[in-house]
Amino acid sequence: MIRGFGCALALALIWLLVLGCAAQVQWRTPLRPEQRLTFDASQFRVVMGAASEDGGSLRVGAVGEDGSALQTVPVARLRAADFASLRYRFDGFPRTLELSFVFRRADAPDDVQAVTVPWPGDGWRSVDLGKVPGWQGEITELGFAEYATPQIAPESSAFRPFRFDRAELWSPSWRGSLAALYTSWFGYTPWALLSISALGPQREVAQAAALQPFLVLGGVLSLLAAALILRWSRAQVRRRALVAAVALWVLLDLIWLEDLRAKHQLTEHVYAGKTWSERAALVPDQDVRLAAEQLRGYFATQPPHQLLVVSDSKFVFLRLIYQMLPLNAAPLEQALGLRWPRRDARFVVFQSSQWRYDEKRGALTGAGRAFGVEPVFEAGDVHVYKFRGAP
Amino acid sequence: MSGALLLAWALPFASGVAAYCAVDARAAPGRSAALAGYGIVFGLLLASVASALRARANTAHALSAAAPALLLFALLAGSAAWWRIRRRDAVAPVPHAKLEKWKTVLIIAALFSLAWRGWLALREVLLRPTYPWDAWDAWAVKSKTWFLLGHYAPFVSARDWLAQHPPDAYTGPAWSYPSALAWMQVWFASAAGDWIEPLVNLPWIALWVGLLLAHYGQWRALGLSRPQAVGFVYLLGSLPLLAVHAALAGYADLWVATLLGLALLAWLRWIEQRDRGQLLIAALCACALPLLKLEGTIWLLLLAAVAGYGALPRRRRKMVAAVIVLALVAMALIGKLLLPLYGLGWVSVGTQSIDVPVLGRLPIGWHPGAVGGLFSSLFAQSNWHLLWWLTPVLVVWRWRALRAREATRLLALFLCAGFGFLAFLFLGTDAARWAESFTAFNRLLMHVVPATVTLCALLYCAPHPARRGRASAYAPLHAQA
Repeated sequence: MIRGFGCALALALIWLLVLGCAAQVQWRTPLRPEQRLTFDASQFRVVMGAASEDGGSLRVGAVGEDGSALQTVPVARLRAADFASLRYRFDGFPRTLELSFVFRRADAPDDVQAVTVPWPGDGWRSVDLGKVPGWQGEITELGFAEYATPQIAPESSAFRPFRFDRAELWSPSWRGSLAALYTSWFGYTPWALLSISALGPQREVAQAAALQPFLVLGGVLSLLAAALILRWSRAQVRRRALVAAVALWVLLDLIWLEDLRAKHQLTEHVYAGKTWSERAALVPDQDVRLAAEQLRGYFATQPPHQLLVVSDSKFVFLRLIYQMLPLNAAPLEQALGLRWPRRDARFVVFQSSQWRYDEKRGALTGAGRAFGVEPVFEAGDVHVYKFRGAP
Repeated sequence: MSGALLLAWALPFASGVAAYCAVDARAAPGRSAALAGYGIVFGLLLASVASALRARANTAHALSAAAPALLLFALLAGSAAWWRIRRRDAVAPVPHAKLEKWKTVLIIAALFSLAWRGWLALREVLLRPTYPWDAWDAWAVKSKTWFLLGHYAPFVSARDWLAQHPPDAYTGPAWSYPSALAWMQVWFASAAGDWIEPLVNLPWIALWVGLLLAHYGQWRALGLSRPQAVGFVYLLGSLPLLAVHAALAGYADLWVATLLGLALLAWLRWIEQRDRGQLLIAALCACALPLLKLEGTIWLLLLAAVAGYGALPRRRRKMVAAVIVLALVAMALIGKLLLPLYGLGWVSVGTQSIDVPVLGRLPIGWHPGAVGGLFSSLFAQSNWHLLWWLTPVLVVWRWRALRAREATRLLALFLCAGFGFLAFLFLGTDAARWAESFTAFNRLLMHVVPATVTLCALLYCAPHPARRGRASAYAPLHAQA
């Protein structure tokens, strides 16, 4: 009985120690925050988008022209070091939107600092401000920005109205640190291009320590303590270590399954109930798809040409080439340094600031090169030039 | 589902099952699952081969162009399988031992968990346009081009493309990648009647199911009991990055992992049971690897090397291996090591760099900065649950069992060689930057993950050396041999 009690106490201490280490909370830190700053959403000013007050809340009903919404509140020069946790609560926040915490410092009044924070979901979410780059000095303004989740949500269908309830700043506390740890470990993260290669590195900058090492540490220490205190035999240790390993595996798997379900809900939200042609148009890079359609339409009336595609972003020009298929296109960067293209080749320039058409010289210039060209097609950000040889 | 799509799925599956049966007609525990698993994988690859051979001039109608050939193959393989099954000795069905209730509950829970994630992955594939970067940049470019053009067109280097050599050639960053998956996508696109990405990507879900079924069947044949095999299938199926590759379909890594895993399982059965059919299956799976991804050539080479080592008389193994390794090291030191690797060209290995004709030069040098990326990928991120924490513990715990069995010894040797290759690639060459950015290491590691789980399964379920005198889990296995 006494051994059992001692074992339970030891296990509680071990997990407290492990969680404390994971949350990087100091022993002298109070259990509850000594200082709390509460901001009702109605105190926030709508900078972008449109919103209406609903009691203490703010109903955000539209985004601005750039596809984002922004609400900010001026604060009376609060010291960043006094506050270690940010808490926020939204209701009905769409899965297709991403949330950023923004703030302005007294020492850089023209700069707005922004950091992506975990998706709000239902209930309170917490972030450890100690991990937010730039959270220092005196803060003069803070707020939240909402926009279509990059890489995954098509901007045209990302926004749905939602309610912003409240935000709080807490001074350092065990409760705040553990809440931030909980949000980070059990919160949902949307698919990203990196998801196919690694699950873990996320867009949120303020990430807590990874769950696995601490789970394993806690598990191993718990087993050791229990084996010593309860005087388990070797066979008992083996059997119970196996049970513990399976239990930890299942726990991690349940967390992953919930994350997978949440990730998939975004997909359902965007694509379910639509025909394939509707879904094909709902790609995150709708501007690239539109450009590809314009180019396919133009080249449908032309004899076949080799197309050399250029854009500032590698992602963009590769996507454009894929969306243009079966047009015979290749990235211009692959051709640079090789022989000159044939005279009937065409240059496709899309959203590029590095490659520009020099009208005086009749040349397309960029990356230290110049090609003699003649403009033959233009639509929005899309420009097509006919190659003429050396400028 | 339209009739064409139904045919596009049924015919490859029938061909694959018939092919497996024709090669190995022997009865074994878990045979139905192995048959279904290998059948799915073989079938998809056979559809690819049929399209590549018969539909080059008419890719938009690849199904109608290639289906007769595949049907003929299925009939011939089915006849051979029928003949072999008729000739084999009748095998009395082994009655299953009744499971305790709690085990039944756990098995149901494990299967439900797998089915749930499979459903989520299936919905994800069915709803979403092709998403991951290399899926559209590398793997679907050829198939989409060929299908929309209506005929095959060669993909060449940028230099040849600019020279229009040949005149109808295409190019792109992945021009040198193997085309097996592209032809499979052409098959399904033609069945769909249009370039409908969810239908083109659906084979990835089938592949994931095939991977799990084949592993269950082969683990049963290798001596695992039903609950043990289900338990390890849950372990394998629950690995997050495998499910991600099924859900965000389009990469070749799940294919390499599956084919390598299947090759190793069949090879292990050859080692344990001397079943020539399984040896042929292992060889077929291994030879398909370079057709899937360039790294497949490396795995084929390592597998062939370890299999060759295993085929040597035991007393000569160390000497022969030492001589070969020393010769290779000496040739590398004097810069004369040239390896003709399928798909990669003549790979030159020196002390300063490795030159791979289709990829370029990889300078050799120690990159300590990548160590953190590797450790984070293995032990901190959510990619593999606790696999890399538990595998070393299991190996140490069951070291004597590992040493006692030829199959586990050789499998462990192969995995050591594989991990060595990955460690060298990501710590000793410029590929380290992909480990630091987390963009490649996990995907290459995935290739050996099913094999690692197989090693864990065999070690965990091996009879404890101290208790060998008691009933052995392998008794039926050795009796078969």
